[in-house]
Amino acid sequence: MNTLVSNAKPSSILYLDGVSVSFDGFKALNALSFVIEPGELRAIIGPNGAGKTTMMDIITGKTRPDSGEVFFKGTIDLTQKDEAEIAQLGIGRKFQKPTVFESHTVWDNLELALNRKRGVFSTLFYRLTAGDKARIEEILSTVRLMNRKDDLAANLSHGQKQWLEIGMLLAQEPELLLVDEPVAGMTDAETAETAILLKEIAKTRSVVVVEHDMGFIRDLGVKVTCLAEGSVLAEGSIDFVSADQKVIENYLGR
Amino acid sequence: MITSFLAKALGRNIVITVAILLALAALVPALNLLTAPDHPLHVPTYIVSLFGKYLTYALLALALDLVWGFCGILSLGHAAFFALGGYAMGMYLMRQIGARGSYGNPLLPDFMVFLNWKELPWFWQGFDMFWFAALMAVLVPGLLAFVFGWFAFRSRVNGVYLSIITQAMTFALLLAFFRNDMGFGGNNGLTDFKDILGFNIQSNGTRSALFAASAIALALSLVVTSGIVRSKYGKILVGVRDAESRTRFLGYRVEHMKLFAFVVSAMMAGVAGALYVPQVGIINPGEFEPANSIEVVIWTAVGGRGTLIGPIVGAILVNGGKSVFTAAFPEFWLFALGGLFVLVTLFLPRGIVGTARQFFERRKEYRKAKAVEEARAFAAAEPQAAE
Amino acid sequence: MHTRLIHRFLQCLLVALCLMATDLRAADDLRSMVNALGGGSFQQNQKQIEALAKTGDPKIVPALEALAEGDLYLRKADGIVFIVRPAGANFRLIDALTGDDLGEEAKAGLEKVKVNNGLRRTIRGALGGLTLMSPDVNVRLQAAGTILRTPTADALDGLEIALAAETDGAVKAVLEKARAAAILVSDRPVEEKKAAVATVVQTGGRDSLSLLSGALASADESLRPDIEAGIRQIEDQLSLWAGAQNIWYGLSLGSVLLLAAIGLAITFGVMGIINMAHGEMVMLGAYTTFVVQAYIRAAWPGLFEWSLAIALPLAFLVTGAVGLVMERGIIRFLYGRPLETLLATWGVSLILQQAVRSIFGPTNQEVANPSWMSGAFELGGLTVTWNRMWIIVFSLAVFAFLLFLLKKTPMGLQMRAVTQNRRMASSMGIRTPWVDALTFALGSGIAGIAGVALSQIDNVSPNLGQGYIIDSFMVVVFGGVGNLWGTLVGAFTLGILNKVLEPYAGAVLGKILVLVLIILFIQKRPRGLFALKGRAVEA
Repeated sequence: MNTLVSNAKPSSILYLDGVSVSFDGFKALNALSFVIEPGELRAIIGPNGAGKTTMMDIITGKTRPDSGEVFFKGTIDLTQKDEAEIAQLGIGRKFQKPTVFESHTVWDNLELALNRKRGVFSTLFYRLTAGDKARIEEILSTVRLMNRKDDLAANLSHGQKQWLEIGMLLAQEPELLLVDEPVAGMTDAETAETAILLKEIAKTRSVVVVEHDMGFIRDLGVKVTCLAEGSVLAEGSIDFVSADQKVIENYLGR
Repeated sequence: MITSFLAKALGRNIVITVAILLALAALVPALNLLTAPDHPLHVPTYIVSLFGKYLTYALLALALDLVWGFCGILSLGHAAFFALGGYAMGMYLMRQIGARGSYGNPLLPDFMVFLNWKELPWFWQGFDMFWFAALMAVLVPGLLAFVFGWFAFRSRVNGVYLSIITQAMTFALLLAFFRNDMGFGGNNGLTDFKDILGFNIQSNGTRSALFAASAIALALSLVVTSGIVRSKYGKILVGVRDAESRTRFLGYRVEHMKLFAFVVSAMMAGVAGALYVPQVGIINPGEFEPANSIEVVIWTAVGGRGTLIGPIVGAILVNGGKSVFTAAFPEFWLFALGGLFVLVTLFLPRGIVGTARQFFERRKEYRKAKAVEEARAFAAAEPQAAE
Repeated sequence: MHTRLIHRFLQCLLVALCLMATDLRAADDLRSMVNALGGGSFQQNQKQIEALAKTGDPKIVPALEALAEGDLYLRKADGIVFIVRPAGANFRLIDALTGDDLGEEAKAGLEKVKVNNGLRRTIRGALGGLTLMSPDVNVRLQAAGTILRTPTADALDGLEIALAAETDGAVKAVLEKARAAAILVSDRPVEEKKAAVATVVQTGGRDSLSLLSGALASADESLRPDIEAGIRQIEDQLSLWAGAQNIWYGLSLGSVLLLAAIGLAITFGVMGIINMAHGEMVMLGAYTTFVVQAYIRAAWPGLFEWSLAIALPLAFLVTGAVGLVMERGIIRFLYGRPLETLLATWGVSLILQQAVRSIFGPTNQEVANPSWMSGAFELGGLTVTWNRMWIIVFSLAVFAFLLFLLKKTPMGLQMRAVTQNRRMASSMGIRTPWVDALTFALGSGIAGIAGVALSQIDNVSPNLGQGYIIDSFMVVVFGGVGNLWGTLVGAFTLGILNKVLEPYAGAVLGKILVLVLIILFIQKRPRGLFALKGRAVEA
């Protein structure tokens, strides 16, 4: 066991220790351990099949690990909870492929994402309050979708859908945000704006970004964890990690 | 709370449809009862019953639409809920026969006397009271849906798997109700009803009243369904349909969402069945046939799933077509129905109402886009002019 | 002391005299004994028949049989007894011992040898003993069986004589059992009866059970425990065989399910297409068999034994072609929309049913079994019908063929490639649309082949397919989608489960139970017995 990791447990927002999972003999995660501090913005890189998406699946309760510990805020055991519970605890997740409710308007997408009571009957008799309205409008302007609030999400451009999804995560008011490849398929201008947006968000909460785009990660300028074959290969600043011999071999290439 | 629910429910189309249904509920009985048979506006009793039956079908289709159209759960077992509601009403009607049955037993229905049963089984107790039977017509389907849905949704049985096990459910019930030992009249089911709430079930007045009751039940269900789908809960349902995992990761308990819709839908189907049985005068295990459930799906698909008016239109059109077709060319009806399945899924996936709505929305959007484009062209032209 | 000696001497003398008398009688001419029947009273005749029986000569059997039937007549003129057959106004005379035809005689000159029920009973007993000595094995076997069914103490002597002389093993076994049965109703000592019980128990079977329970009623205390233990032992044996028979029925049902589901395992399991018209493909296969048989009967009746072999490839082609048309015409537009596929194919199934109904009529069509498919054989306590036997073999052969096709041939490789990663397969030069179409046609063709087999055990009607569709889906889903072995295991598990439940719950309730169990099972393991696991599947 990694002592450095276990000492960090009480004060961390997210704590993974020795997490392993395999699918039909293929080890997707192999004793993965790392810690995210409150308020931290962390970038995670790694080649295809390194286990990045599986790691997110485990944190958000979609997949159960075969072994290992996953703790939120030091005390909450995430391996015992399902997706809805974990989301209600304050962990938001953005998928690799933008996933929004295409047949709802932008406004409705945000309304559904708002962190309010989520039971059948409270939603059945829900009324939009002035406070909720102000909050949605605030998010709309944050993700720059104010002028499209009445359009169906299906009609948004790819980049706008990514932002809408980020906006939905904000509406969820999570303490920890997991963002999977937020700039895939974005134009350079959009990518730069997304980096600004994420840094802004990270001021008030912890964010974990999985990304391939090294330029984008350099823009973020944060601590980087490099995964390979289901465990951590190197961790540190972008310059430190990209100088690491193993990282170069496994991921960056010579 | 309720008022906001209702306010949202009553969109323009819903108000119009409800108004039509209520008008029919008043007008059709009036034209049947108050006009002479040779009057040009007279509605014959068989037409009243026929359309009363269609209205219960429409209610069944609406119930299916709530889960299929809005939540993506393709239930191939909705006829089971319909039939259970029907059996509850049938049991009441059986007990109303009393000593007028062929065997003249005041307590036991004929088929029990025939099977040499000595006392009424426990599950037949209480069905001599209308309110109890009516309650059971809603509760029994609701309970079955709850138990079934609880297990199915919790284990995340999805898509075609769910369709197949709902079909297995209705098939199992079909086999069960065929058994004489079940105590529901076996193969022959329940029939030979005499009266309902003291009124002769064959009389014109009762038939008209049943028609009116069906129309009102449909109108009420339409309002409730509309309220449900237009609430935040309804939007979540659609969210579950389109992106289930996103809903989950937003913190909603998808299984609860689905379960509620499934139970409400089953209850509506039960009401439809309870109204259907007195109008056709019989309920037998054939109602559980998996084919029946699939037919409900095609009514909904023809009219337009995911719309509220669509299933009503579809149920009435397809069943009207069936009545005409089976009278004129009986051997071609299955060709027509089969063709309908194929053609609608291939060429009219949104159904009649959905396609019409899409057409109007496209036109509106086209106009809007044109306006936006003109404005943009204007705006683009201006800076150039400034340069 | 003296008296005892004298006593013993007298005893010996008596036995010797008796023996002498028997010997003398045996030496008597049979004919005179038969002729003596003519004039005797019922009582005398009774003795006479017993004496005849003691000779053990099968030659007297026809005469005794004739007497029992009332066909034995006395010629008043010379006191000779004949068997007669009516011949117009006269009788035809037949020699009572040789069976020679002796010409006709007027009825007036003959007198019937009278017979009553007591006499008939004696004759039956005598015949039983006599036929036990018959040179014909089958007659002996039948006679032994008759005694076994209605054992009497009187038959015991005859049985023991016959047993000593018997050489045929099968007859001997029945004789021994009959002897044991007779001992149980005789006044023989308890030790002998105990041995008899053991003999009966050893042979087992339902008849032994009734034999022993019959004996139990009249048995004395010392014998009861033996009999009771014997009854228990036989009951255990019987229930074991009954269980085995149920498992056999289960295997048979499993093979039917496998046949019905295996095509679906390809279209649904491998391609993910919900083909609700699958049952109708089976039905079309059965109708192809019907048409082939009708044609063969009319044109080449000699080929009838080959009708199934001819129908197999034709059914494959017919249903494969229908499948191909379906895939090209409808299903390919609905890929990725499984629920729509379900509805469209349901529509196709309605059309196919109605088409068959319009062409062939709504009633059942007669599809005959070739001789090698009919009949049954016994295997221990099991009854095995040939058609079920061959269908099990056939279903396994089809399974093996499919497995080979998918795993070992280039076509199978392409199919698997396309279903696993369509884009990749297409970029590697595989013509994915054709692979789709051919895979679907293959699944449909297999359903047609199944129809040929099922036509042998099921009613061939337009509704044939409807009966199989839900079961087939259950099998595939239960076994695990995308896994042929799962389908095999699923089919046989469900088949056996169904038949094992049947004796306890009844056929209908058993089926309901199985359905409920499957529904519960799917809740527990939504992807079946042999589920694929992993990220790709979960997404």
